[in-house]
Amino acid sequence: MNREETLEQLKEIIKPYTNNELAFDNFTADTDFIADLNINSANLVDIILDVEDAFKIHIDNESMEKMLDVKSTLEIIETKLSEK
Amino acid sequence: MIGNDIVDLALAKKESNWKRTGFLEKIFTSKEQVLISNSENPEIMVWNLWSRKEAAYKIYNRQTGIRGYIPIQLECNYENADSGSVHCNGNIYYTKTEITKEKISTIAVSQKSDLKEIKELKSTVEIHKKNGIPYINDINNASKPVSISHHGRFISRVSIID
Repeated sequence: MNREETLEQLKEIIKPYTNNELAFDNFTADTDFIADLNINSANLVDIILDVEDAFKIHIDNESMEKMLDVKSTLEIIETKLSEK
Repeated sequence: MIGNDIVDLALAKKESNWKRTGFLEKIFTSKEQVLISNSENPEIMVWNLWSRKEAAYKIYNRQTGIRGYIPIQLECNYENADSGSVHCNGNIYYTKTEITKEKISTIAVSQKSDLKEIKELKSTVEIHKKNGIPYINDINNASKPVSISHHGRFISRVSIID
């Protein structure tokens, strides 16, 4: 899976939790889940669980700490996938 | 220092399925999970503890400048439905929680005595933000920390009385 495909899949996961359509349309690696997409912090855990299911990986607490934006989340997914 | 959080219970029901596999384990310590499972109303306990963590995180973020998704590190010491403290990496925050049928709101402070000195800001007060952290300019034009929480039908903007 290349970065483009991972990003697309991540975008699909994030979509239902987004509260800012405009920011979602302008989705980039720099998009911040809370500041830009207005995602409720209680829904960040849903994103983490969805990511675990979709990519068949385990996100530990240390990785979870950084999952506040697209870029960090992509990096964590890629690291975990490479460890498989 | 002050932090607050509001949970609109109707919206929380719609937005979150806390019974989802893995949900509680990701955000609550094992001690907190026991509190939830032993509670008469687990759903209320979930949002009660969650609002404490969120309110405390706002102070932690302001004090340390650290931003992160760290619900497990914010550990609730639950005294009763209204009060307790949250511990995070050596810091202690004292909390006061109010539960109604419609919402749960928590205020956290770094100095316990400040819990008696909380005021809700008038809607006319202008709030500014620096690095995403809210403050107001007081009568002497000094910046003063405030905390805002908005969820569903409810908003709360609070500060400590001078």
